[in-house]
Amino acid sequence: MNHFALTIVGRDRPGIVSQVTEILFNQGCNLADSSCSILGGQFTMILILGHPEFTNLASFGEAFKPLEDADLTVALRVLKPGGEIRPQIDGDICMISVYGADKPGIVYHVAQVLSEKQVNITDLNTKLVGTEERPVYVMVLEAVLAAGVEEEDVNHWLAPVRDELQVDITVRTIPTVEL
Amino acid sequence: MAVRSILLYPDPILKQVAEPITAVDETVVSVIQDLVDTMVDSGHSVGVAAPQIGVLRRVLVVDVSKSKLGKDNNHGLLKMVNPEIIEKSGSKMMREGCMSVPDYTGNVTRAEYIVIEFTDRNGQLRVIEASGFEAVAIQHELDHLDGLLFLDRVSSLKTDLYRRKGK
Repeated sequence: MNHFALTIVGRDRPGIVSQVTEILFNQGCNLADSSCSILGGQFTMILILGHPEFTNLASFGEAFKPLEDADLTVALRVLKPGGEIRPQIDGDICMISVYGADKPGIVYHVAQVLSEKQVNITDLNTKLVGTEERPVYVMVLEAVLAAGVEEEDVNHWLAPVRDELQVDITVRTIPTVEL
Repeated sequence: MAVRSILLYPDPILKQVAEPITAVDETVVSVIQDLVDTMVDSGHSVGVAAPQIGVLRRVLVVDVSKSKLGKDNNHGLLKMVNPEIIEKSGSKMMREGCMSVPDYTGNVTRAEYIVIEFTDRNGQLRVIEASGFEAVAIQHELDHLDGLLFLDRVSSLKTDLYRRKGK
């Protein structure tokens, strides 16, 4: 089985998921992980899919043409063997909320600190909310902390960003439990 | 006394509603013992519900006293027949995993505090208050009696579900 990452973006309207997955089904693709969401006015799809025979974009032939005709942007990435397998990420899960008056650099400055400390971001969403006069930027991310890193450490690392950018930041670990 | 194997989803029994117990007889005592044995044998489990060992009856056991998160706030080993939550408040999010759904965990929000009524193994009606991890564990096991898995409670796969950390 060869694996691919397929991304599709286009103006949101009903029927996109159906049109895309009908094509994939008819091509004999297996959908593994996927994440689809509305961002701005665009519907975005990111799919990890497998196919027993296809090896590259050419294998799909003209299959995606109806999507492009429907004004959707389609991009396909061929994964190297094993690229579909999620790495084992050990450590405590931590949710970080950052919000404040909108200004440039909020995502970058938070991500920079986390990167320096080898914190692995596993999910990140941002939204511009509030009113036009007083826009508020909200970011919620999920990260995995390396062994020995505590909630207080992350708070401490992010304190300078909090002061510099005048944003509110809360850090909370989520215990993992087997029941 | 027996360690039973844990049913794994998609076993259809896990999605069925368990039958109430009319009397705590020998068969019920034996189910309770099997649940305790199975829980202890797994080494890391803090609770097992009867449907997980293939018995569609309203019985569960919970013991968070040996876990890091529950050791300071617990009732020890709880054996519950016909458990029913009669009051709940607050909310607490934990990333739950389940022996019946291996390799995945998901963020689930549950009541932080519960009052629960149940019949004990001597047939006596009891009411206890539980909070924190113990309350979460009881709610998770109680869901099994109603054919619900934590997968029915996660809000979004996108952020909530991924492979469990190393066993």
